[in-house]
Amino acid sequence: MAGVNGEPAAVSADDDPGVVVDRVGKTYDGDGDPVRALDDVSFSVQEGEFVCLVGPSGCGKTTLFRVIAGLADATDGEVRLGGTPVTGPTTDMGVVFQEYHLFPWLTVEENVGFGLERSDPSGGAAERAARVDEMLDLVGLTEFRDSYPKSLSGGMKQRVAIARALAVDPHLLLMDEPFGAVDAQTREMLQRELLDVWASTGKTVLFVTHDVAEAVTLADRIVVMAAEPGRVREVVDVDVDRPRERGDPAFGEHVARVRELIGARP
Amino acid sequence: MATDTSGRLDGRDDTGAYAGLGLADPMRLLRGVAGVVGFLVLWYLVSLTQPAYVLPSPAAVGARFIEEFASGTMTAALASSVRHWLPGTVVGTGLGVGAGVAFSWSGFLDDLTAPLVRTLRPVPPLALIGFAIAWFGINDAGAAFIIAVGAFWINFYAAYGAVEGVSEDLIDVGRTLGIRGDLDMVRSVVLPAALPGITIGIRTGLGRCWMLVVAAEIFGVPGVGREILRASNNLLVDKVIAYILVLSLLYLLVDVAFRAIQRRVLTWQA
Repeated sequence: MAGVNGEPAAVSADDDPGVVVDRVGKTYDGDGDPVRALDDVSFSVQEGEFVCLVGPSGCGKTTLFRVIAGLADATDGEVRLGGTPVTGPTTDMGVVFQEYHLFPWLTVEENVGFGLERSDPSGGAAERAARVDEMLDLVGLTEFRDSYPKSLSGGMKQRVAIARALAVDPHLLLMDEPFGAVDAQTREMLQRELLDVWASTGKTVLFVTHDVAEAVTLADRIVVMAAEPGRVREVVDVDVDRPRERGDPAFGEHVARVRELIGARP
Repeated sequence: MATDTSGRLDGRDDTGAYAGLGLADPMRLLRGVAGVVGFLVLWYLVSLTQPAYVLPSPAAVGARFIEEFASGTMTAALASSVRHWLPGTVVGTGLGVGAGVAFSWSGFLDDLTAPLVRTLRPVPPLALIGFAIAWFGINDAGAAFIIAVGAFWINFYAAYGAVEGVSEDLIDVGRTLGIRGDLDMVRSVVLPAALPGITIGIRTGLGRCWMLVVAAEIFGVPGVGREILRASNNLLVDKVIAYILVLSLLYLLVDVAFRAIQRRVLTWQA
């Protein structure tokens, strides 16, 4: 379990510190006709790495996200986080959803602190408050700490959700199309901010998106999925220096390459 | 009489301090006063053509109201009604909300109780008067029982539906943030998320319970309802209306108070 006091959590040397998705399959029992949503999906994310997961609609991205988060069970295979199989939701993983899902009855500050009491009940209230302050500062929402989510814009809500997920100091930040519900301008701003947060915290990030340009902007590597059944088509390394510019020819080449993989027939 | 009982879901901008009575908007207030005055004038005109045992004039009702109040009869009846209204409402509401939340959240409890709930639900509280008398006697407890049954069902279904409507996504978020176990989930996510729906049930129940006060006093427990029934039997229509007015005023008072609390508790609501 990760500490909440800002220290990197200890991982013994023989453990794989990152995420391993190991031959994960998922079959839904349809009406008489079982549907294979995921088939033999394997890839890994190294500690500190930023990996994006892209694919056409219906490729099981969201199913895979739920399996990795421990919110759904895999039919075959397993997901390991730091060498330990994921059997259910864990505070070692900070999860961010597309629609924010803030608790509307809690203030920004209370939302961010929600996980702290449970992940580290021994920690003092002062320690938790300090952690909340740190997170609010990280996402630049200190002055909105007493606001309720209803008064925040979409971009601000997503910042709160990210701060809430990071507060418990998880190994992995797992995000499902987190910027899908905001306008293009806000989206680019949030992408830059996420890269800053990633750089300053050194978190491992697994980011699901359907936006290829977004994936090329953010990721060290892109796991490209194919549909019916959902499976890994190819893993693409993004060898472009950060900060990445959309006008850069290398950027365009990567986008074209990933688009081709998504569009290509198996 | 304020007829706006639709809660905050009506989308009306009523965040002013006196919004419950529509006093925040002078035009609304003016129209409300005009409506009441118009009604009184109409009432007075009709009463001129009718004998007092069919429709007494507003003035006669007012005089009777003051008389009943001054003699202490009204206060005594009120105190008696409150003595069974309050415990009946509190117990019925508490049990209704509790059972609604528990049965809606737990599939096991839901399965266990669904046939019973469906069987008992259509029984009108008044049909239980025999039980009230047998179990509690002709007293406050008996009347409170009838009121509690009414409050129970309203709150049961409101709470049940509210919990059913809690977003699965919020529950998922709760799980990823370390909630383990039903108790923590219900306390930390389900209850607060369901609170708007639950408070609508409580508010509806508060009104319904005043109506049940009259009904519950049919079998002889003293109170405002008893006074109304007696006065009806004696064709004292002015007294009937005076006591109906008392009930209305009490309901209005409780409703305004409850809405103020509701707004405070649900400030976070959009």
